[in-house]
Amino acid sequence: MTPAHFAFSSAFMLGLAGLAFHRTHFISALLCLEGLMLSLFIALSLWTLQFDSMNSASMPMILLAFSACEAGTGLALLVATTRTHSTNRLKNLNLLQC
Amino acid sequence: MAPPIYSALIISLGLGTTMTFASTHWYLAWMGIEINTLAIIPLMSQNHIPRATEATTKYFFAQATASATLLFASISNAFLTGEWDILQTPNTLTYSLITLALAMKIGLAPLHSWMPEVMQGLSLLTGLILSTWQKLAPLYLIYQIQPTNSNIFIVLGLLSIIVGGWGGFNQVQLRKILAYSSIAHLGWMILILSFSPPLALLTILIYLLMTFSLFSSFMLTRATHINSLATTWAKIPILTISTPLILLSLGGLPPLTGFMPKWLILQELTKQDLAPIATLAALSSLFSLYFYLRLSYAMTLTMPPNNPAGTLPWRLNPRHNTTLMSLATTSTICLLPVTPAIMAMLPL
Repeated sequence: MTPAHFAFSSAFMLGLAGLAFHRTHFISALLCLEGLMLSLFIALSLWTLQFDSMNSASMPMILLAFSACEAGTGLALLVATTRTHSTNRLKNLNLLQC
Repeated sequence: MAPPIYSALIISLGLGTTMTFASTHWYLAWMGIEINTLAIIPLMSQNHIPRATEATTKYFFAQATASATLLFASISNAFLTGEWDILQTPNTLTYSLITLALAMKIGLAPLHSWMPEVMQGLSLLTGLILSTWQKLAPLYLIYQIQPTNSNIFIVLGLLSIIVGGWGGFNQVQLRKILAYSSIAHLGWMILILSFSPPLALLTILIYLLMTFSLFSSFMLTRATHINSLATTWAKIPILTISTPLILLSLGGLPPLTGFMPKWLILQELTKQDLAPIATLAALSSLFSLYFYLRLSYAMTLTMPPNNPAGTLPWRLNPRHNTTLMSLATTSTICLLPVTPAIMAMLPL
């Protein structure tokens, strides 16, 4: 495993742990999701830089576009949740329990 | 919802799945899955009630995590082996990570905890799209990665069958029951995937058929609780005959279609010298059969105690076009004798 691979893998794992163990706020989970996408962006940019050709140069840009869409969706859901549940604390999302 | 927006979302749903089906590169497959996720989120939360918003939020988190993990595993595979082709994913670690990410996408145990709550918060039509259409793209990817090492699939499959049965025991909400039934059926599908991919395809197709007919039956009377099932006899009496048969077909009882995949899967597992696993799977599906039988009992064999015969509701024209539903219901009940023809068509 090259140092670059290790770097973005550990960044991804940290973000994933943050997302999986989200405890209080909605927005911190969204931030961890953005961190995941950022680590993948760095990974794809490093992949492009390892070759001399521009064949795979569009991949980080497309990832950026999809990540922006996802972030926008997440923020819209944050606003919707704050409107319906009156808070962005995750413990308040308890309407759908058994 | 305004028609242009609604049609744009439906077209995007179709586009996402088509992109994943048509791709041989992991990146395009990931893009198709992302488009699917983004397109269904407005559909899920369109009526802006708190339950729908909460269900959408939970769905969004689960699917976003799984998509990001899928892309991470593909990029790691590229860094380690230089391959972006879906059909050649030789590295074992990234292969397992891809399988787990796709399992979280479709809601297999132990990554299933989002599924019952999400289904509970949605309308029946959106729940139908979630159970059937949204599963197609990840299932296709799992089908394509040519599983060779069967351990992870057996573990996922057995856990899903057990959890899908046991989790539905105490439920009275129909959508949660349908979520657990989906988990159990996909468990059967993934159990056989490494041994005979055509059988897994057959299981998926029959599961889609049965789920579609059950959802359509519930949509006709807008039933979301066992209590509302119990008054079906007054609204649409024919449903009290067809829906229990669909439920028993989902449970896998012999003269009905649902027996076909279970039978063929048990036969294939026995041929591979895995009889204990086959026994465990068959016994665990008795859990699911319990709650299907409870639904059939509530629907057909009971009558509400305080309903005088003179207060039957007006039978207005049905709102839904029942053409597809009647086709699906007939296929769910009557397809078992066609098993030899189907087996001849699949390259088993």
